[in-house]
Amino acid sequence: MENAGTDAAIVVEKLERTYPGGLKAVDGVDLIVASGEIYGFLGPNRAGKSTTVRILTTLLRPTGGHATVAGYDVVSEASQVRRSIGVALQEAALDPLMTGRELLQLQGALHGLRRPESKTRASELLERVDLVAASDRLLNTYSGGMRRRLDLAMALVHRPSVLFLDEPTTGLDPVSRASLWLELESLNDEGTTIFLTTQYLEEAEQLADRVGIIDHGRIVAEGTPQELGRLVGEPGLYVKLIDETQSDRAREALAEHGAVSDREAGGLTIRTALGARAIAPIVRSLDEAQIEVDAVEVEEPTLDDVFLAVTGHRAEDDAGDEG
Amino acid sequence: MTELALERDVSTQGRVVVALAERALRVQLRRAQFLLPSFLLPLLLLAVIASGTSAAQQLPGFPSTGSYVGFVVSGTIMQGTLLAGLMAGIAIAGDIEGGFFDRLLSAPIHRVSIVLGRVLGTALIGVAQAILFLFVAWLIGADYTGGVGGILLTIMLAALSASAAAGLGATIALRTGSLSLMQNLFPFVFVLLFTAPAFFPRALLNPVLETVSVVNPLSYVVEGMRAALFDLPGLGSVGWGFVAGIGSVVLTCSLAVWAMRSRLRS
Repeated sequence: MENAGTDAAIVVEKLERTYPGGLKAVDGVDLIVASGEIYGFLGPNRAGKSTTVRILTTLLRPTGGHATVAGYDVVSEASQVRRSIGVALQEAALDPLMTGRELLQLQGALHGLRRPESKTRASELLERVDLVAASDRLLNTYSGGMRRRLDLAMALVHRPSVLFLDEPTTGLDPVSRASLWLELESLNDEGTTIFLTTQYLEEAEQLADRVGIIDHGRIVAEGTPQELGRLVGEPGLYVKLIDETQSDRAREALAEHGAVSDREAGGLTIRTALGARAIAPIVRSLDEAQIEVDAVEVEEPTLDDVFLAVTGHRAEDDAGDEG
Repeated sequence: MTELALERDVSTQGRVVVALAERALRVQLRRAQFLLPSFLLPLLLLAVIASGTSAAQQLPGFPSTGSYVGFVVSGTIMQGTLLAGLMAGIAIAGDIEGGFFDRLLSAPIHRVSIVLGRVLGTALIGVAQAILFLFVAWLIGADYTGGVGGILLTIMLAALSASAAAGLGATIALRTGSLSLMQNLFPFVFVLLFTAPAFFPRALLNPVLETVSVVNPLSYVVEGMRAALFDLPGLGSVGWGFVAGIGSVVLTCSLAVWAMRSRLRS
């Protein structure tokens, strides 16, 4: 299904989309997603995530630039792109008056499967996403997590090589979210390239091989979560003291290991390039100063810290509809 | 495209149209707010008209169809099919607002198939309506002198009428994408209905309505049904009914496809 001769599943060059009225939702996005990769596309609402996904899934034409998915141009070879991709857009758009099985069979028909093949595939997928028991119930009886799992199953009906998921876990409870993450990891292990937009930093850190951060229609940072973490600076070590009155003495004792700052009563953060390797010397220094320690933890920079560092504001600062 | 590839493509799209028609039919029949206006309301109106205004049959110039209910049943079918078309538009607008339409657009199918699937589903609803309304009217006194052939022709005209109405509903829904606007179009169905000789013969309409009825294609469809159901001269022409019906389907479906293309370009 995929064009031979390229390792890139998605190539985006100087992509732009300006809406009538002049709003520039996507402003020169460049990115490459390798085959078999999970790419996390991170940004607040209105950053341009969904518009980019709509262009890559052929639902919207770009006003500038160029993009290929599975080797096909999203404008001139839109039909081939649609055959190669699975799409689960925001808010699990499912007809509430159909059953899960009916929806999967309809999706099969839309992707050219004959009726018997479509029925078999629907049964396989219902099993995969653990919805067999609910398969003949109308969608208006499904929970948010069940709808999301069905949405994912629908995107997989034709065994796509590239999967686009637009905020797949928004609004889900932690258990449903974790279950969907496991399913996505399993799909990726089977070779499916996944392009995932999310507002959840934790989700990108958990799933993505690489992360692109978009803000105001532009990619402002890109790399593995670890590479992006380094943009923030040195990792921190959090030290919790048993006796909070010893904070001043602890600060003095730890000064030789790095920059020390107060966190809360009895808690200190030390920034050090050594990261976890500084734990032993720190504990030794505190022991020599006869300061009792409750806990020492490594604090890796989060994508939230990265987001703040590269955009100057936190991801959750922006609210409203996606542009 | 080679001949074989073209054949495969036509066959695949045919399956897509059938699958979408099945969905349209299934979902509409599960929706109470659809069943009420499309099936129950026309039957209620038929009962009210048949019982309360049957004296109209005594007016000079009124065709002798045996019973007034027999005369108005074609108007009832027209009413039902117009409402089914409006419901088709409401369903499309609901799909657009709810995001299901994007799911259809992200599938490798011809955009025309999306329109045709909805139209075919509505045509089947039109067939079901015609069978039900003709049966109920027969139970309460209609006598179809045109025989089984006339009934079959009427059912075919009902399918055309429903298809044309679905094409019109789809056009407006695709142009506007607004569910609330579609829901507010309900009164316009009655404007279309009363500017056609649905419940009275054209000769008994007031001069303004009679003039408007000449350009309303539904006039020819409803008269075509009547001409098919009753073997009487002066009721209309089955042939013109089919010409108007097919013409309306081609026109409204073309407009719907055009509206779809405009929506996708924006």
